[in-house]
Amino acid sequence: MAGRCRVSEFFSGGAGTPRAVIELRDVWVELDGRLVLEGITFSVDEGTFLGVIGPNGAGKTTLMKVILGLVRPARGEVRVLGLQPGELRHELHHIGYMPQQVLFDPIFPVSVYDVVMMGRACCIGPLRFPTRKDREAVRESIRAVGLEGLERRPIGELSGGQQKRAFLARSLCLETRILLLDEPTAGLDAEAQESFLALLNRLKRERGLTVIFVSHDVSVLARFADSLVCINRTMHLHGSPQEVLGSERLEEAYRCEFDFLLGEGAPRRGW
Amino acid sequence: MLEYAFMQKALAGGMIIALACSVISFFVVVKRLAFMGMGVSHAAFGGVAIGLAAGVDPLWSAGGFCTLVALGIGWLSRRGRMHEDTTIGILFTTAMALGVIVVGLARRYNLDLMSYLFGSVLAMSWADVIAAAVLAFIALAFVVLFFKELLFVSFDEETAIASGLPVRLVYYGLLATMALTIVISIKLVGIILVSALLVIPGATGLQLSRNYRGVLLVSVLSGLSSMALGLYLSYRADIPSGATVVMVMFGLFLLAMVLSPRRSWMRRFVRSQRQGWIANH
Repeated sequence: MAGRCRVSEFFSGGAGTPRAVIELRDVWVELDGRLVLEGITFSVDEGTFLGVIGPNGAGKTTLMKVILGLVRPARGEVRVLGLQPGELRHELHHIGYMPQQVLFDPIFPVSVYDVVMMGRACCIGPLRFPTRKDREAVRESIRAVGLEGLERRPIGELSGGQQKRAFLARSLCLETRILLLDEPTAGLDAEAQESFLALLNRLKRERGLTVIFVSHDVSVLARFADSLVCINRTMHLHGSPQEVLGSERLEEAYRCEFDFLLGEGAPRRGW
Repeated sequence: MLEYAFMQKALAGGMIIALACSVISFFVVVKRLAFMGMGVSHAAFGGVAIGLAAGVDPLWSAGGFCTLVALGIGWLSRRGRMHEDTTIGILFTTAMALGVIVVGLARRYNLDLMSYLFGSVLAMSWADVIAAAVLAFIALAFVVLFFKELLFVSFDEETAIASGLPVRLVYYGLLATMALTIVISIKLVGIILVSALLVIPGATGLQLSRNYRGVLLVSVLSGLSSMALGLYLSYRADIPSGATVVMVMFGLFLLAMVLSPRRSWMRRFVRSQRQGWIANH
């Protein structure tokens, strides 16, 4: 596949200097005739941890979808792994995505192992069945998130924190280079949150993953992120956590949530 | 009873139908398509009426019609900012209304149409059995070939889209497969009762197993055995076949519910009995 070669070229060429795996240049997004993102520009270097903060309805989830190529920007340029959104379709196995909330039925009859195997589905390809390589990748991924021994447990019987780990394993079991996590720690208690973040940080280090982590919990991101982006429809800040959190403009970004809601109606969730 | 040709045909057709329905039933239950199944099967009334009025084999007219209605429901729910159940409610009633008008225009009381509503063991011809076998094969082949995609889409559609799976193809494929399965079942079971075959076996499986492999196995076993037992009882007692099959299916479902490891009262009951037994011995 032509696309695959291009991504391996992307990773093999020019070692040493960090390269931007994700680049957004002046991205504007409209959903149903409403501007959701305005003039977003930032880049993420390989192997770094970017935190995306912003109030509810700020367009954080839409930003994720733009990166995944699921939402086309009205204007601007997006490059992920050096590819344009259209070319990215065949390279999605390099990107692991964890949605804000996996809305699954707790009695859905699948085990942890089955859920993680779902992550391999696009890699295996249609009309084909999992091979030994796939099964090994799944087991390795389950080990990496510390769920060994629970492979055969129904997913609905796991605790919230364990379920999140299972979904993380699912997004890791491909040739994952980029992890997009949309509020992965929402709904977890402090302890589970802490251990999830520690796990994520370890995986990032060990595997050289590029992590984009959306949250509105600023304090969590401040400890783990290499850099932060604060968006509220438009981009307010981009820099190291110290710069962003020390800035007066952070407050401004959050305050305009109020204006935004009054002016534009309730925040929306768009596919 | 197997010395009669009509029972041979009914049993052969019935087994094919039960197999296809029980497999699809798994997805109907986990993807919550029960109302969709009801809607599409009732829409078959329109297709059958058109076929009878136009002199076409109702199997084919209903086949085309149901597939169109199922895909239409899927398409409208994704496009038209409506919930799936609203779309189903609109399209299946309209399809039935169309059927009633066509029957009215034909201006004769159609006995044939009645047998499609409630099904009949006498209705299956060998040509129907062969058609059922071919369509069931297509439906099952789709499920086997796209099983992992179907499972992922049923479990968590959002992530399935994000990971680049052909979610739309899989979803419409499932709807079309369900429509085909309904169509091959209506001669034997009837338009009114066919949706039971699409819901009860899967629900029975879900009572007894917590993994899809077990659910599928129980679903297929209960579907096949209720079909065989139902046809036998309907022959012995001379009662309508479709309704008898559904009653047997419901009986098995009740049994599974009582035996279900999911239900803690049953577990508690067994435990207390066991403890009582131990105390007494």
